[in-house]
Amino acid sequence: MDQREEIRKYLQELLALKGDRQPFVDDTSLLLGGRLASVDAVDIVVFLEEKFGVDFTELGFDPTLIDSVDAIDSLIQTVKK
Amino acid sequence: MSTQVAISDAFPSRTANWLANFRIIPRIETYPFVLNFAQKFAGKLLILALFAGGLSFATPQWIPLSLCLAMITFVPVRRRILVTVATLIFTFVVPWNTFLHPFYTSSLIIFVIMLGAVCFWLVVQFRNSVLGRHAVFFLLTGYSLFIIFAAYFPNNTPVYLAVWDLAYIFGIYVWFFAYSLQDIRATDRDGLGLQLGTYRPFWGSTHTPFAKGASYLRRIEARDGEQLAVTQLKGFKLLAWSLLISVFSKYFQLFVHGYLAIPTFPAAFVHSVQHKPDAWYMCWASLVTAFFEEVFYISIWGHRFIACCRMAGFNALRNTHRPLSARTVAEFWNSFYFYFKELLADFFFYPVFLNYFKKNKRLRIAVATFAAAGFGNAFYHFIRDLHFISELGLWRAFTAYHVYLFYCTVLAGGIAISQLRKRRPPPAGFFRGHVVPVFGVVLFYCLLHVFDYTERTYPIREHFRFVAHLINLGY
Repeated sequence: MDQREEIRKYLQELLALKGDRQPFVDDTSLLLGGRLASVDAVDIVVFLEEKFGVDFTELGFDPTLIDSVDAIDSLIQTVKK
Repeated sequence: MSTQVAISDAFPSRTANWLANFRIIPRIETYPFVLNFAQKFAGKLLILALFAGGLSFATPQWIPLSLCLAMITFVPVRRRILVTVATLIFTFVVPWNTFLHPFYTSSLIIFVIMLGAVCFWLVVQFRNSVLGRHAVFFLLTGYSLFIIFAAYFPNNTPVYLAVWDLAYIFGIYVWFFAYSLQDIRATDRDGLGLQLGTYRPFWGSTHTPFAKGASYLRRIEARDGEQLAVTQLKGFKLLAWSLLISVFSKYFQLFVHGYLAIPTFPAAFVHSVQHKPDAWYMCWASLVTAFFEEVFYISIWGHRFIACCRMAGFNALRNTHRPLSARTVAEFWNSFYFYFKELLADFFFYPVFLNYFKKNKRLRIAVATFAAAGFGNAFYHFIRDLHFISELGLWRAFTAYHVYLFYCTVLAGGIAISQLRKRRPPPAGFFRGHVVPVFGVVLFYCLLHVFDYTERTYPIREHFRFVAHLINLGY
């Protein structure tokens, strides 16, 4: 499974836990758009730390960094570089 | 057999879906002809006129507010700077006659804003120093020290009142400055001129910044005519919703307190304190009524602020969004007073969550939740209600605050447990999936409401006495 697919699947699961089965595309704003809440942002942070080694202590928390599949993917690319 | 199960499962879920998608106010922003019309000059004018008409029922400042919204609507390329202009008008010009000493109050506000500007400039200059990296911590610590200074300032000097006035006005702005300082770390941060528009923006705020700070405004700003039309239509709908709740709330109060003669919660509480409690079912009725009135109250003004913010072209999330369909304590906390929850999350939860106990996820969440909903919540209200400190002195104001400290501790515990519980998809069926969890959440917050008390008049035993009356125990 490629990185994007993994992110997509994770966000899908997170939305499903809230009973949200509406489709979303890679640039759909999930946090700022209100479909995911800060409680879910915590789960995304932990997921990214554990799965991709993203260190938010250095980055600081900015919801736009994890707002969509595109944003998360680009965050991981930046961290890898 | 399996078909039968599927059908019987599908029925309540269809009911739930129908309820979830039901709209009292239709989604006009999705109707193509409405959307097209809203982008034309006449359409904008009509929406602004209708919005102004709605505002006239909601606020006495509806004329300047509507004029500012019109100015921003018709010059969208200068939106952010016009927000600053409108905010300055609403800071100094509109309330001028309501100030007891207009020149004195305005001077203090200017001084406080200049202090905020100096903080902003200092943090920009020393962005990578300890000061820059922990700017909000230094801001809040500095302000707390100033309150301690004011509390021990000799009260027989003429400067005493000015010191407290300064503390009070700085307190009104402190969380706005905090968002501003947080924005400095953003790569696309705004300059001071635009930040100024976020210091108690003209669309309204409490001590809690509505629509957060400049960083959030940049993300949610309408980029083109269509987005502006959608945002304004959503703003118009939200104002209509606010007015509907306002009317409903008025008749609800007349019905429960007038026709049904259920005492208000403060009245029932005072009866309990006087050892003349109402019947247990009346205590419950007053408590549940107070809970719903609180939801109505916060929705009315929160929706109005956000409606105006949306009319200005910022698609901000609602402050209160379906709290009565929250299935967990944490969900309710998120949906009841969103911008206050965001403030606590931004300045207390995430700093702790991202830096401590990273090896243990559960401990990490629990500690960060207590930092936000417990400590942050208590700190916010303690520095908000400064008059208690000036009247009672620092120590007595603190010790008499124990009821709210208890409230914060239980609230934080409830939210932490709710967050730590393994999340599962909602169970099938309307009753098990919606009614039961919602009932549990409402019951938790109703009981907690007995202790949601920032005044300093009654000790905690009086609050427990009221809880005892709820279960028909008298003591």
